[in-house]
Amino acid sequence: MADHNDPNAVNHIFSDIDYTPADLYDLFGWPVGDGSRVVFALTFASAPAAGVLDADLLYRLLMTSHPRVAWPNARDISLDSALGYFDAVKDKYLGELKTAEIRITVQTPSRVAIKFLGFPGGNFSSALDVNKVVAIPTPDGQTIQAFVGGRDDAFFNDLTGFFRSINYAPQFYHVPHTMTEARELPIPKTLLELEGNDLFNYRPDMPKWGYTQPDGTTPKLDLPPGPWTWTGNKFKKDAAGNFRFVYDGRDCRAGQNCNAIILELPHSFITPETAKNRLVNAWGESWVRKAVHKVESIPDDPSWVKHPWRAIRDRELEDDELKNYKLVDTDGQPFADAALSEREDDRQLGANNFWLGPHFIKRLAHLGWGFAPSITALGLKSSFDHDNSTVSVYKTYDLVATAFPRVAKTLFQQLNMPDDSWNPKGLPIPLRRPFEIFIPNVCAVDMDTSGTWPFGRRLEDQVATRFLSMFLDMEAEWNGKKYHIDMLGSQALWDAVPIVPKTPPNPLKNDKEFLDQFPYLAEPWPENW
Amino acid sequence: MAAQANHVPRLPGYPEELERAENDIVALEARLECQPADLEKRVRRAYRLFHRASLTGIMVHFEAVEAAISETILKFGPKEDLCLLKANLDFRFHRVAEVRRDLEMCPRLAGRFEGRTLLADLDFQEGHYAGARAALEALIDENCTWDNLARLAHWKGKLGGIAEADRLYQEAEDLLTAKQMRSYTWLELQRGMLAFRRGDYAQARMHYERADKAYPCYWHTDEHFAELLAAEGRFEEAEALLQKVIARTDKPELQQALGELYLFTGRPQYAEPWLDRALKTYLESVRRGDVHYFHHLADFYSDARRQSGEAVKWAQKDIEMRSNFSTQATMAWALYNDGQLPRALEYIRLALSSGVQEAGIFSMAATLFDAAGENAKSQSYAQAASQINAKHRNFHMHH
Repeated sequence: MADHNDPNAVNHIFSDIDYTPADLYDLFGWPVGDGSRVVFALTFASAPAAGVLDADLLYRLLMTSHPRVAWPNARDISLDSALGYFDAVKDKYLGELKTAEIRITVQTPSRVAIKFLGFPGGNFSSALDVNKVVAIPTPDGQTIQAFVGGRDDAFFNDLTGFFRSINYAPQFYHVPHTMTEARELPIPKTLLELEGNDLFNYRPDMPKWGYTQPDGTTPKLDLPPGPWTWTGNKFKKDAAGNFRFVYDGRDCRAGQNCNAIILELPHSFITPETAKNRLVNAWGESWVRKAVHKVESIPDDPSWVKHPWRAIRDRELEDDELKNYKLVDTDGQPFADAALSEREDDRQLGANNFWLGPHFIKRLAHLGWGFAPSITALGLKSSFDHDNSTVSVYKTYDLVATAFPRVAKTLFQQLNMPDDSWNPKGLPIPLRRPFEIFIPNVCAVDMDTSGTWPFGRRLEDQVATRFLSMFLDMEAEWNGKKYHIDMLGSQALWDAVPIVPKTPPNPLKNDKEFLDQFPYLAEPWPENW
Repeated sequence: MAAQANHVPRLPGYPEELERAENDIVALEARLECQPADLEKRVRRAYRLFHRASLTGIMVHFEAVEAAISETILKFGPKEDLCLLKANLDFRFHRVAEVRRDLEMCPRLAGRFEGRTLLADLDFQEGHYAGARAALEALIDENCTWDNLARLAHWKGKLGGIAEADRLYQEAEDLLTAKQMRSYTWLELQRGMLAFRRGDYAQARMHYERADKAYPCYWHTDEHFAELLAAEGRFEEAEALLQKVIARTDKPELQQALGELYLFTGRPQYAEPWLDRALKTYLESVRRGDVHYFHHLADFYSDARRQSGEAVKWAQKDIEMRSNFSTQATMAWALYNDGQLPRALEYIRLALSSGVQEAGIFSMAATLFDAAGENAKSQSYAQAASQINAKHRNFHMHH
């Protein structure tokens, strides 16, 4: 559920929307075997149950392998260079890039067909029983490990804290679906509670408010008539001078399951030039069978409704099997939707999200005005230019050009890693920058690294906290060490700043130990049904 | 119609969806027993009740929805989702003025996508065709949903081109997933009706069979099959099927249809009990203050039991609520039967001025103009009726 800004039609984490197996949660990817193989794990809602699949679904894992390219304009921090980058990505994904695909169609709730399409060794297919580890031989004599079935959800995150930080009303209030303006309310986004923000501040008399309970219910209040604004001018402090954190670090996904497609592939299966193509980019998609194809032998050839994004998917429209399905969800980077699509159904573009580049800049500036003053109030330095505002500000942008100067450093700064363990070979691999991470929306695994985010995504990565670190100034130091992407996960930091509760924003580890061998994700929790 | 071959595994259909809806209602009611103040669950329960009522078409189920909405609004105030549900329910029962009031209960509801959709429906019902079309086209531009495509298809089917209507229904089908098979079936039934109204029974049957296969055991599909069988002259099969559907739904309009089938086939002695039952339900509904059977009463007294004064009375009541080509034509026919030809001509001209393209209305116009001595016009409309549907005098039901 790092992908928690899914299209509204399918996202079940909002307690008033049913679970659907089209709701993709996460895509994990990291190298194993000293960079000779790569693991991808695509997780999604366990409906109808963990280990039981829905026969109307089709899942795709698309991937491509290419050389690592250093950003050529390292010193050119400008709107033109950002837009030029988005254009270059577009040309690449619409042009020369050849994407291979692993396609899983559910045959019965306990059996799937798996097809390997467009890989150098040629197309082939197999069939698997779910909930079993299976070794699939490839035409060129290699072996792919595969598992499709129920697992413990590998995502660990204080979702309610995140929703409180963005003033997301449906987590806390009964909000009719018609009231689209009452989702992210026009109150500054913030990491620290705002004095007088009665709509979202923690209420000691209702400790369960906004937290989904084991029985699936979420205690909520009636949404007051409004206005849903905030007129204060400072962060809230208690008598001891402590700020109140919007997070409390609990794992809102503890005890929850998912279904998963997990594959361990030889890099040489993906590309014959493994030495040259050190990056493996991947993204996942869920598709639901169309009604018109649920009944066999229906002769009509349905007319295609042309949407702008479909024009770029002509190859898919020519695919006889895909024509029978409708794309519902995509997943590449954790929090890409929070940063980009705001869960809009028509922004589920996968790697093709370069269209949203300009929107990304405006959205990041909007988030920055909320989060950055919270960071500086704690005595830390932010990458976002908020004119030294002493409190979070609600600000939106119509123009990219006016948003860009505020967000330039946040977009272009290299994200420092906490230590060198991410780069075990000590290679001259450039640190990644936010604009490269989120566009295209892919899980980009660097086969020479450990695959920890943002060089892939390992199961144990606390990506929600790392996402927030984008707003830290990576040139600054704390306790003699440069800021880095895990700094906000350090208990020592929270012990040192005036805040309660004294906790990192999100849990530091999953509720269940991961496995040290394939399929890596833990066994599912017992389910009642 | 249960037309599926034995060896083909049946897809889940009406019984399964009804069971799910009922289970959901039971679960929600159990939860509300413990937490009566849970507004979200109350709203969800009201929607589930509406879901069940829409499935069964049974009046008692609709009354349960109405009670749930009223109770929740009374306790929690006019919430947008409840008012929207109430507006949909009122629209379904022709309570046009109440629909507008429902939408005004929440200040912004009428401006929402869903509110604007209902207002477009109202425009069509009130005879503001151009406004309805413009609103639907704007809504589709904004967000191309299957249901608004279907609304526009309905508009085209009545006032524009049948081919364009079918294309739009097909486009709507393409937006549906395997999780929406009842909606798909409903669209197939609409496409079948388009073909039926052209007299293309083979095409209609093809769509109805597809509907039945996609979502089996649905009484609404059987209702269409029964009409088709009767139109094809397979009266005994039609009769048997209608009786089965009536046993499942007890809908008075189907009882009237069965009575009319008996009249059509020269068996008035069988017709009377069914017509009595239908009339009893219509009149009880009216006594309760309901208005949605006005149209059926007007038809009933015009065709099933010729009491022209009563027909005019109910047609007048209907047209006062919603003046459109359908209510205008019904009024024209009632007035004609009542010997009020000049007024009948006024109403049929009004109906024709809408641009409606229906064989039944053209045929009626031919009769009225003939009675008025306007022979050329009469012949022209008779020809137009035959061009649209050469079989328009075959049996058909009042939908």
